[in-house]
Amino acid sequence: MVQYALAIDTPPAAPRTLTATPTAVQHLWFCAYLPNLSLEASGPSKDARVVVAEQRGIYRVLLACPKASTAGIQAGQSANAALALLPTLRVEERSILREQQAVERLATWLEQFTSVVCIAGRDVLLLEIAGSLRLYGGLPCLRQQVAAGLEQQGFAAALAIAPTPLAATWLARAGRRACVREPANIARVLRGLPLTCLNWPVAVCDSIRAMGVTRIGDCLRLPREGFARRFGVQRLLELDRALGRLPDPRTSWRAPERFCADHEMTEEQSDREILLAICHELLLSLERFLLTRQLGTQQLRFSFFHLRAPATQIFLGGAEFERHAEHWSELLRIRFERVLLPEPVIAVRLQAGRCQALSAVSGRLALQAKPAGSGRRYSMSQLVERLAARVGYQAVQGVTTVAEHRPQRAWRLQDFPGQALPVIRYQLRRPLWMLPEPTRLSAEHGYPLLQGRLILLEGPERLETGWWDDDGIARDYYTAMSPQGLRLWVFRNRQHAPTWYLHGFFG
Amino acid sequence: MPHDSPSLDKLLENPRLWRGRNPAQGMAGLASGLASGYERLDHHLPGGGWPQHALTEILTEHYGIGEIRLLMPALAALSRPEHSAEFSESGWIAWVAPPFQPYPPALQQWGIDLSRMLIVRPKTDKEVLWSAEQALSSGTCAAVLLWPDRLDDQAGRRLQLAAAKGNSWAIAFRPLTARSEPSAAALRIELQAQASGTCLSIIKNRGGRPAVLHDIF
Repeated sequence: MVQYALAIDTPPAAPRTLTATPTAVQHLWFCAYLPNLSLEASGPSKDARVVVAEQRGIYRVLLACPKASTAGIQAGQSANAALALLPTLRVEERSILREQQAVERLATWLEQFTSVVCIAGRDVLLLEIAGSLRLYGGLPCLRQQVAAGLEQQGFAAALAIAPTPLAATWLARAGRRACVREPANIARVLRGLPLTCLNWPVAVCDSIRAMGVTRIGDCLRLPREGFARRFGVQRLLELDRALGRLPDPRTSWRAPERFCADHEMTEEQSDREILLAICHELLLSLERFLLTRQLGTQQLRFSFFHLRAPATQIFLGGAEFERHAEHWSELLRIRFERVLLPEPVIAVRLQAGRCQALSAVSGRLALQAKPAGSGRRYSMSQLVERLAARVGYQAVQGVTTVAEHRPQRAWRLQDFPGQALPVIRYQLRRPLWMLPEPTRLSAEHGYPLLQGRLILLEGPERLETGWWDDDGIARDYYTAMSPQGLRLWVFRNRQHAPTWYLHGFFG
Repeated sequence: MPHDSPSLDKLLENPRLWRGRNPAQGMAGLASGLASGYERLDHHLPGGGWPQHALTEILTEHYGIGEIRLLMPALAALSRPEHSAEFSESGWIAWVAPPFQPYPPALQQWGIDLSRMLIVRPKTDKEVLWSAEQALSSGTCAAVLLWPDRLDDQAGRRLQLAAAKGNSWAIAFRPLTARSEPSAAALRIELQAQASGTCLSIIKNRGGRPAVLHDIF
């Protein structure tokens, strides 16, 4: 209590910025209040419907859609009473989870307008837009875009703009289409608002009202010390924050960095073109998700759900981090040709793998002449992706050498070709073709046989040991010539009984 | 073929005159070839080397008798930076469905840039041809080596077109039995291993003549 004692006596001055420049950073908060969220969260509907919630064992109407309201259904009625008024009424139970998901979806969508989006309570979204005004062509334009977008997604929102988040919230809750830009004007606008828009506990509001105070302006006129004692310091602080006398820092909401989106169909679908179109829609939302975060992804997973069979999974991988929907769509189309769906599909899910910051690359100026002889259609990484999409990711690989004396370990495959690698010098020639495993050769008088006795041309090159990984070898390698004129790479194993093996062709 | 007669020169400049072969200057209308690294072979090839932007077929009884060695000097030249300085993304060599594992250390010894090598192992023959066609027409692969089980006339023609489109060199390896089949390839070469050395026969040579070369290596 002690630290508030001073603040309660006298209203604190508006916070000063600590920077040397006199121009303070002015914030502008845009509030979108969703009064019908519990109804709208379950998607659009043509029928009359209500959302009910259990209160002391009885299901009561929480919110009624306009059609239900015209039939006389009001909030607070029991579900049975509502059904008696309108037998065709659709009664839905309130789902907090669904509401939360809807708000988060909206917050994700709103992230395109600003980097500071806050979910302030159950049904309030706050955007700090001072920095975005210029980009979106001024306040009216931005406001109009947000309003249109929300409406398109099926949400009726009350919008208000004010320099402090609380003032904007209260204005929106009161249903005022206000737009306050100057901090000095906040008090004047808030003065006329009813207490209900404060969203304080009913008991607090009731006791304030019992004093004959019905508006926020009246609250502000009350003695500060007495107000704090009767209704709590928190209430007083809230008023100060709303007026901009105290700072009101907010944590901005961050969408999860992993993208996952579903598309549920009303009926089973087996038309591939339609499924591809649905996937394209999902990919477009992925693109928007990645674009707002300046990210790209390399792996995608599509899950096609069936009613009576396990889901069909399609993995797509790219050679580079990518975000464009067109790019993924093309890969999916190639891949989809070879996928057999056991049953019609009822839902599609798209999940993105790890994301990575993707910086935009400046394009080539169109005026610049194209290098002569460029018959290029797409880049190497695109080619690799196309091939991999059709023949499988394991089937498209690059190779690299490894600094290792044992021939079978002197190289390895690598997933995505094009990386730099060590250049290793060998004294003797190595064969161009290697057998996956050495093949044993029969011998005659100590010489190897392969369709006749082999003539040893070069060698031996003794390659030995590997005790550190239990894969030791003791071999004498020779270049040999078969009677047919094939040049072979053979070795004599010195470990046990000396035996000859064929390990490669000089090709 | 040195000559001093001005009237003969005039006659030779006439475009209506068809000349069977002129390895020194290359054929009119044919791109100059890519030096094979084997002088005797270059001498028989129009343009003085492998036909670029076209399909070459190499027929062998077995794999491993020198068919890759024959190509190595030319592939190494394609892999060198001066050939691909234009783009950092060209000069790739794609191997589609090789019968064994191409051994990276040996390729490096021959001067191939392994960082621009792509190995594709499709499961079906149809995918082999599809992959090769994609790689050829992409414009990033300088050469595409493929080992199809079957390569009919139509597929050969498609490869030929894709190679021309992507300025790439297609090399198809086929068994000796394919010799009697018609082919759209610009060049067909048969390799036979003999105890004395490898015998190379040029069966089909667009703009040149068939020839037989003994002991090529």
